[in-house]
Amino acid sequence: MSDPDAYIALISSLPGSERLFVAKQPPISRLRLDRRLRALTPEDVKVLQVLEHALNWGDYDMDVTDVQAIERCKAALGDIPQPTLQKLFLERMDLRTAVAALRLRKQGGSSPAGTFGMGRWVRHIPANWSDPTFKLESSMPWLKEAHQLLEAEDPLGLERLLLSVSHKQLKRHAARHLFDFEAVAIYVLIWNIFDRWAQSNAQDAATRFEKLAQQAMADVADIDFEGAYA
Amino acid sequence: MNELVLTLGWLGIYAPMALGAASSAIGCAIAGQASIGAMTETEGGYGRFIGVSAFPSTMVIYGIVIMFTLNRDVTPENAGGLFGIGILSGIALMYCGIWQGRACAAAINATKEKPEIFGLSLAPAAIIEGFGVFAFVFALVISAGIS
Repeated sequence: MSDPDAYIALISSLPGSERLFVAKQPPISRLRLDRRLRALTPEDVKVLQVLEHALNWGDYDMDVTDVQAIERCKAALGDIPQPTLQKLFLERMDLRTAVAALRLRKQGGSSPAGTFGMGRWVRHIPANWSDPTFKLESSMPWLKEAHQLLEAEDPLGLERLLLSVSHKQLKRHAARHLFDFEAVAIYVLIWNIFDRWAQSNAQDAATRFEKLAQQAMADVADIDFEGAYA
Repeated sequence: MNELVLTLGWLGIYAPMALGAASSAIGCAIAGQASIGAMTETEGGYGRFIGVSAFPSTMVIYGIVIMFTLNRDVTPENAGGLFGIGILSGIALMYCGIWQGRACAAAINATKEKPEIFGLSLAPAAIIEGFGVFAFVFALVISAGIS
């Protein structure tokens, strides 16, 4: 348990979260956020780095294997002393494990024999492979919708759902932490969710714009779309 | 033995003042840090933040009044009563001051985003103030029975 009053000034200096999926960008830029986070102690900075490094997909190489990713997450869990942060980290791992299993099954894979995830459902999921929600509907009510979105091949809808579930999990933990380190860490993780959504919107918009431009200019064959996505 | 009893009596007289001062210092520091943080993020209303962060200072005032009320010649007969009332009212004031500071900090943090909830956000701090007043008033009432 961290000092409940450790970061009163820091938390009070951070702008509140906007509404997810409504706000076009995070409530504070990363540059300003990092400047504010200078108030953290070196120990807390390390924990936050470990947490972000393990949870941000951007920090993983494209060719990282399941085993490597899981080892990294297990190592990260050992470096996080705060019970709340451990709990939310494991919740995120449960979510990722369930989604990984859904994707595996969608690709036609059979029940995984080896390591494919992390957390308490690693054995339960292969044992209930044929069930649409791996018989996890009571623990993960969102899994049914995720399954439907995956089957409907709606990646943006799935991304939106997963970010929304992660956001709700973080908000639930945030209610018990006002001014301690956990509150700061949860704020940064929520910031990452906003940032990820803002980025996926930007990418989506760019792709859509490019498609529309290609459509509109279909008759003009000799125009070169410089910098267009492949 | 008498010396120990008399010492406890003096301890009881000064405890409300000392614990009240400590609680006001901690409470004001907690709420003050929140107001400083909020000022870096907002464009105005700084005076309100500072005003709210001074709320827990009332605990030391209550402590001073209780101390003066309890202040009398300490004898082996009244030392136990002075000790009991002084220490317990002091502890009550201390908790009220610290938690009032936290309530004020939360109010400041919420108000910076939604200024319209300023009055309502102070309700928890005001309720805690009420508990502090209870401890204060009944310490005065009970102390009247000590010779």
